Parts: sequence; C-alpha cells; structure tokens
Amino acid sequence: MDLTWTPFFTLFRREIMRFMKVIIQTVITPFVSSTLYLMIFGVSLGKSIVLKDQLPYLSFLIPGLVMMSCLNNSFQNTSSSIVSSKFSGDLEDFKVAPLTPWQIILALSMAAVLRGLLVGGITFFVGEASYFFTYGTALGVSHPFALLLFLILGSLCFANFGVVVAFWARSFDQLSAVSGFVLLPLIYLGGVFFSVENLPPLWRSVSLYNPLLYMINGVRYGILGVADVEPQRAALVTLLAFLLTTGLAVRCLKRASFQRW
Amino acid sequence: MAQNANLALDVSNVIMQYPLTKALAGVSIEVAPGEVFGLLGPNGAGKTSLISIIVTLEKATSGQVKVFGHDVARESQLAKLQTGWVPQEIINHGFFTVNEILGFHGGYYGVRDSKKRVDELLNILGLWEHRFKKVKQLSGGMKRRLMIAKALVHKPRLLLLDEPTAGVDVDLRKRLWEFVEQLRRDGISILLTTHYLEEAERLCDRVAIIHNGQIRAVGETRKLIEQWSRKKVVLRLLEPVEGYKNHPDYMSGQGSEWTFFTKMSKPLGELMQELQVPMGNLKDLQVQDGNLEDVFVQLTSATKGAH
Repeated sequence: MDLTWTPFFTLFRREIMRFMKVIIQTVITPFVSSTLYLMIFGVSLGKSIVLKDQLPYLSFLIPGLVMMSCLNNSFQNTSSSIVSSKFSGDLEDFKVAPLTPWQIILALSMAAVLRGLLVGGITFFVGEASYFFTYGTALGVSHPFALLLFLILGSLCFANFGVVVAFWARSFDQLSAVSGFVLLPLIYLGGVFFSVENLPPLWRSVSLYNPLLYMINGVRYGILGVADVEPQRAALVTLLAFLLTTGLAVRCLKRASFQRW
Repeated sequence: MAQNANLALDVSNVIMQYPLTKALAGVSIEVAPGEVFGLLGPNGAGKTSLISIIVTLEKATSGQVKVFGHDVARESQLAKLQTGWVPQEIINHGFFTVNEILGFHGGYYGVRDSKKRVDELLNILGLWEHRFKKVKQLSGGMKRRLMIAKALVHKPRLLLLDEPTAGVDVDLRKRLWEFVEQLRRDGISILLTTHYLEEAERLCDRVAIIHNGQIRAVGETRKLIEQWSRKKVVLRLLEPVEGYKNHPDYMSGQGSEWTFFTKMSKPLGELMQELQVPMGNLKDLQVQDGNLEDVFVQLTSATKGAH
C-alpha cells in the first residue's frame, strides 16, 4: 500500500479520463473557437492592422490566443470537475479517502494544465498553419524554455484559481458569474487582441495591474521574442500569482466543505 | 499508539454544535472488533452527523473519535485506511463506469493494483455483468451494492453503513442482511444506522438509541428489549370478572377480555397468581413479547423514559 504516489496518480488519471470522456466539450469546442478567432481577427481583419516592429497582426494574435486557450481550459477543468463532483456527491470521496490536500491540488491542477496545453498546443498549430498559408513562412518559437515556463505557470495559476472558485461557489450560477464577469474581462483586457501600447495612458496604467497582461506577454516573448512587458518582470508577476493561487487553493482544501449540494 | 487500540470505534463525549442547533450533545459509544453495532434514532437524531465526524467530513466541536486507536482528527490517514463508508445517499459519479469507480476508489486508498479485489467484489455483490455501465444505468439496488463495493475495496476493518437498506425492495434487503452477516463472519466491525428496527434486531449484537443528539440507551439488543420493553398479555375469560383495573400491569379491557403490559422478565405464572384467574374460567391466553420497536418508541417519545 502506497499512500504517496498511488492516490495522486489515481486522481490525476481520473481527471484526465474525465476530460477525455467529454472531448468534444473540453478540447474540440475550444479548438473551433480558437480557429474562428484566428480566421476572423488574424487572417481577415488582421491584414489591415499595422503593428510596431513591422510584425503582422496574426503573429501578435497567435501567442495571445494560445495563452487564452491554456488559461481558460485550465480554469474550466478544475472548476467544472469540482462543481460537478459537488453536485453528484463524489467530492466527498476525496475527503473520506486518505488523500492529502496537496495530492488533490497537484492532481487536479496538473490534469488541468495538461488539458490547457493540449488545447493551447492545437491552437498554436492551427495558428502556425494559418500564418504559413498567409505569409508563406512558419512563425517559429524564439524562446522555447520561456514559452513553456509561462504556459505551465500561467495554467497552474488558473487551475488553482478554478479550485478556489469551485469550493467557494454555492451554485453553477456563481461559477458562471466568476467566469463571465472576472476572468473573461481580465483575459480580453490582458492584451490577447491588442497591444497595451495602443491604449490611452489611463487604461494602460490600469492594465499594468492585470496579472494576465504579464502571462500573455510572457508567452508572446517566448514565441516572438518581443513583448509589451519585460520578460523578467513578466516571470516575476506570474510566479507571484502562482504562489498566491496555490496558497489560496491549499487553504480552501483544508477549510472548505466537501459535502454535496 | 493511543489507548483503547483494541476498540474498533471509540467515540468519546462528542459534541457537534451548529449555529442554531446542537446535533450531538456529548455522545459516547464503543464498538468492539467484529461487532455489529446498531445506531437507532428518528430523523434528525444525530446519526448521520456522528458518521460524518467519523469519516472526517465534519469536525466535532469537541470530543474524540478513534478508529482502532487512531484519532480521526490527528491521525486521519491511518484512521481512514481502517474505515469504509456506505453513505445514505447514492453517489452518481457522472462519467465513469462501475469498474472505473471501484478502481479509482482503491487507488485513493493506496491500492496500486486493485483489479483482483474489484473483480472479487463485483462477483460477490452481483455486479459483474454491469461493470461497464455508468451509475445512472444501474437500478436502485445495484447502485446501493456499488456503494457497498466501494466501501470495501480497500479491505477496511470498520464498515459504516448509513441506512444501507433505505428504499430497497424486500428481496435485496434480505440479501444485504446476509451479506452483512458474511462480513461479521469475516471479522469486520460494523456500525449500522437504520430505520428498520427488525433489521437492527436481527443483525446487531448491541444497539444504541440516539435521540436529540443524546444516547438514551446502549446495550445488547436482547437485554435492551428485556429492560425497556414489555410483553403484552391478553386474557380471554368464559365468565366476565371485575377488579383487574387496579392491577399495576393493567392496560385496557373489562368483563371477559383484559390486556396487561408486564415486564419481560416477569414470569407469566406470577401474573396469573396475582390475578387469581381460575383455570376453569380461562378461555384463551395470548402473549406477545416486546421488541426493539417498543424500546425505540419508549426511549424516543417525548421525555418519557421510565419503564
């Protein structure tokens, strides 16, 4: 009997199986959304937008969409898993079994990151294909290590945040409210579709308080080699956000109720 | 190692205070290894609250719960390894099949390869043919059996059955009783909560009656029945008589039919002598022993408690 790795890997495997069983909802639909964004904003409208450094708009958009896919899917994976388990009652199993809070968080978050990277990776390859067919050349990756670091740390932040929100939520409505009124604005205003350089000074200053700006620009730096924010600063903010959300998630698991709705 | 490690379950002075109500007001019970212990009480008596504390879903306001000597609050992992829990409500598990659910549950308890154990339980509990079905595709009885299989997959030494036969048909109820008796023979200690007093009377070595968060009585099932219930004696006579209404055991009746409630331990001959019934006038005599239901009613009805 092994109480360290077996419970962790069991829960990790369960979470992967969970999202793979509803692959249309968890992977295919986000892939279609990202493709539509690329077609409409990147390929169609993007041709008329000129950025500094002579970068095509499509190249600016692809990193943003990749990170948006990762963050959204990581959040959705942990939050919907916990909320649906609260509803069906099997969240109680996690508490009754000898699983530790750390095992639960790591298993849920790592499975969520895997889903985020899967959808993000597909988005990147669709973006690469679009770029190739539009400009006749591949976009490439300037800093692979930095790219992976920002993708994984950012996804972990959102997976942890999903755990916190799901334990806090008392209904599906509350979960949707956080998703629609907090996360979506933060993602869209974090520079997925536009550069903060183009914002009026006031809004540019406000945007600097949005941690998503740093995560998205970290990925942009990883792919393009240029970004609106210095990569070191972006890495520091992302790391702090990761530590904060991990702390909150652990606190939640130690204190929150696992009982069914 | 804590004291009383030889007890399967040691609940000591547990208080559970919610903002508006006290669910448990100093509950203490002990379950010996291999014993089937019944916890009986009306709805809202505190049965499920106590089980929630044992399985760590809730934290007691004060008091201590130990499973085979391990404090559920301080040594929760060790206590959890010894405990299997069959909840009152069915858990749905959404996406997963019976096989997957049992495999996962074994994994949570550190069982790396649970296939052999899962197959064994699927066969014992008659779920083998349904192992690739999802919970929603199972009948009510199958769902209940799946809950039991889940609780047993890590081979616990203490099994908590929270109203396992609620809402199941007579046939399945009997099969579950047989299964509980099999578990008893295997040496598993069982804490059973139930509304079916016949079930408790048949299965439990000892029972505790809980009411308003307090244990009203605890002891061997037979002894509790003898102590707290009364046998009903119906006397039918050929010729009517008067004067029995003043007898302390008199319950109802007059003339040629009288009903008495007497202590279980009181011999019938003693009652007959007290009543001085001429044998020639005796038409019929019916005796009905008390049962657990009488004990339950006696101890849980309002503030009455005396016998």
